[in-house]
Amino acid sequence: MAEKLLEIKNLKTSFRIKDDYFAAVDDVSLTVNKNEVLAIVGESGCGKSALAFSIMGLHTRAKMEGNISFKGENIVGISPSKLNKLRGKNMGMIFQDPLTALNPLMEIGDQIGEALLLHNKELSKTQRKEKVIKLLNKVGIPRPEYVYEQFPHELSGGMRQRVVIATAIANEPELLIADEPTTALDVTIQSQILDLIKDLKEDMDSGIVLITHDLGVVAEMADRVAVMYAGQIVEIADVTTLFEEPLHPYTRSLFNSVPNAKEAQDRLHVIQGIVPSLQNLPRIGCRFAPRMPWIDGEAHEEHPEMHEVKPGHYVRCSCYKHFHFPEESKEEEHHGVS
Amino acid sequence: MEANSANVELQSKTVTKTPSGFSVVWREIVRDKLALLSLIFLVGISAFVYGTAIVLDQEEIVKVDLFAIYEAPGEEYILGTDYGGRDIFGQLIIGTRNSLSIAILVTVMTGFIGVVFGLVAGFFGGHIDNIMMRVLDFFNVLPFMMIVIVFVAIVPKYSVWTFSLIMTAFLWMGIARLIRSRALQEKELDYIHAAKTLGTSNIKIIFKHVLPNISSLVIVTMTLNLAANIGLESGLSFLGFGFPESTPSLGTLLSYATNPQTLEYRWWIWVPASVMILLLMLAVNNVGTALRRATDARQRRG
Repeated sequence: MAEKLLEIKNLKTSFRIKDDYFAAVDDVSLTVNKNEVLAIVGESGCGKSALAFSIMGLHTRAKMEGNISFKGENIVGISPSKLNKLRGKNMGMIFQDPLTALNPLMEIGDQIGEALLLHNKELSKTQRKEKVIKLLNKVGIPRPEYVYEQFPHELSGGMRQRVVIATAIANEPELLIADEPTTALDVTIQSQILDLIKDLKEDMDSGIVLITHDLGVVAEMADRVAVMYAGQIVEIADVTTLFEEPLHPYTRSLFNSVPNAKEAQDRLHVIQGIVPSLQNLPRIGCRFAPRMPWIDGEAHEEHPEMHEVKPGHYVRCSCYKHFHFPEESKEEEHHGVS
Repeated sequence: MEANSANVELQSKTVTKTPSGFSVVWREIVRDKLALLSLIFLVGISAFVYGTAIVLDQEEIVKVDLFAIYEAPGEEYILGTDYGGRDIFGQLIIGTRNSLSIAILVTVMTGFIGVVFGLVAGFFGGHIDNIMMRVLDFFNVLPFMMIVIVFVAIVPKYSVWTFSLIMTAFLWMGIARLIRSRALQEKELDYIHAAKTLGTSNIKIIFKHVLPNISSLVIVTMTLNLAANIGLESGLSFLGFGFPESTPSLGTLLSYATNPQTLEYRWWIWVPASVMILLLMLAVNNVGTALRRATDARQRRG
C-alpha cells in the first residue's frame, strides 16, 4: 500500500463575483501518494490552476470549504505562519510561466537562496552558496558560479524554468506541484524539463501533482490521471486504464480530438462549445451535458456522483453508459444547413 | 583556429555585464545636456549654501541696522539691504538653505509615509485597503490652507521641523495613492506567488520583492515632488503663512515684493530670490524627467 501524502476531500473553492460566491473548484476529492505522479488534465478554465493554488493556500480572498490534509494534518484555514512553515520546506510549486515567476530585480543565487534562508537557518552564507550551486548543477545549468550572479532577464526561457524548478526543490519538498511546467517552452526543452522532474521524483521520493493539458505529457509522465471539467473531477484512473478505456464522455472527446499519426484524418474531432464561465455553470445535473446535446437528457443523473467502475477507476455521472459520438452523416447535414 | 577565435569572442561577450541601475541613470543624464547642467547646478548650489551657512551667523544677518536701510547693491552689501537694513545676500543664502531643507524633509517624510501606507493598502487589499483608503480620503478633504494658517497662529516657536511636519501631514496622500495602485498590480504577478510558495512572510514580500520592483516609480515621483515642495513652501511664506522674518526663506524674501515701492524701485530685494526659486524648480524638474526616462526603456536616449 502506497503511503498517502496529500488527501483532498470535497474541496470547494469559491470566488466572490459581485455579491455571490461561485465555485471554481467544486467537490474535488483526490489523493497523492509518495513517489507518484498524479496528472490533472482538462481544458483551459476548468479549474486546474485554481486547484493548485488552493493546495498551496495562494488564494487570499476565496472561500474554501472541505479538507486538504497534508501528511495527516488539515491545511485549510490554518494561520499564515503555520502555512509558511510548510510552504517551501515540505511543499513546492513550479509555475507556468518562467518569464514572470522570477523576481526581475533579484540575482538568481538570492532567489534560490531565499528558500534555504527561510527554512534552513543554520546554514552559513558560504554553505548556502555551495548548496545553491549544487542545485543549479542538479537542474542542468552550465557554469552555475556565473549564473549565480546573473539576473533573470539575462537567461533564456528554458534556463529560467530550470531556475524556477531549482527554487521549488531547494529544500527537497515531499509534495511538488507543477502547474503546466512546459507550456511556455519549446519541445526540445520540454522533454529535458520533464526528464528532470522525473529524476526528482526518483531521487526525493516525492509526490508530484502535474497539471497540464498536453495528453502526450500525461502518457509520458503520469502514474495516475484525474480529468477535470468545469471545476469537478469527472474521471480518475491510473494512466494505462485511462488511455485504454476512457469512460466519461469528456475524457473520450478529449482523446478523440488528439491528432492521430497512424491514420490520416480529414478533420479533427472538435468538442462543441466552450467551458462555461463561472457564473453560467449548470449547477444541477451533468455539467458536460450542454456540450453533447445529441445525448438524451434522461441519461444523466440529477446530482452526478463518482462511481467506482473498477478498483481505482472512478467516473462521474452515469451518462457514460449511453454516450456515443454524433454520426458523421448528421454532422455533415448540419454543416450543409448552416 | 577560426572556431577557436569565435569561441574566445563569445566568451568575452558573455562576460560583459549588461548595464544596470546607476549606470543607466548616469548615461541618461550625461546624454541630456540640460539635465547634466541642472545636476551640476543643484549640487553646486547645495554645497555652497550648506557650506557657507555654517560660517554665516544667522543672528547677525537678521539684526536690524537702521543706518543701512534700503541700500542698493554695492561694495558693502553685494545685493543691498531690505527695510530693516539686513543683508539680502546673507538672507538669500540662509533662505535657500531653509527652503531646500524644508523641501527635502517634506519630500522624504511624505515619501516614507506614502510608500509604506500605499504598499500595505495595495498588497493586502480587501477590507484593510478599504479602511486605509477611507482614512486617506479623510485627510484629502481637510482644508490644507486653513489648517496651516491656524497652526501658524498657535505654534509659538516656528522652525524648519514644525513647518515640515505640518506640510507632511497634508502631502503624503498623492504618493500613497500612486504606490497603492502599483502594488495592486504587482502583487498579482507570478513571482509574488512564487515567493509565497517558498514560505516568505507577507512583510518580507512587501519590502523585499514588491518595493524594489516599484522603486523606480518611488524615486521619480519623489524627485518631481521635491520641485513642487520648493514652490509650495515659497508660496506659503509669500502669503505670510510661512516663516517669520527672523527665519529667512526664499518665500519671505519674495513677500517683500508685496510692497509696491519695493516691487517697483528696489528690485534687488526680491529678484534674486525669485530667480533662485525658478532655477531650483527647473533644475530639479530636469533631473526628474531624465530619471523618468532612465526608468522607462522606451523613452531612453542613451
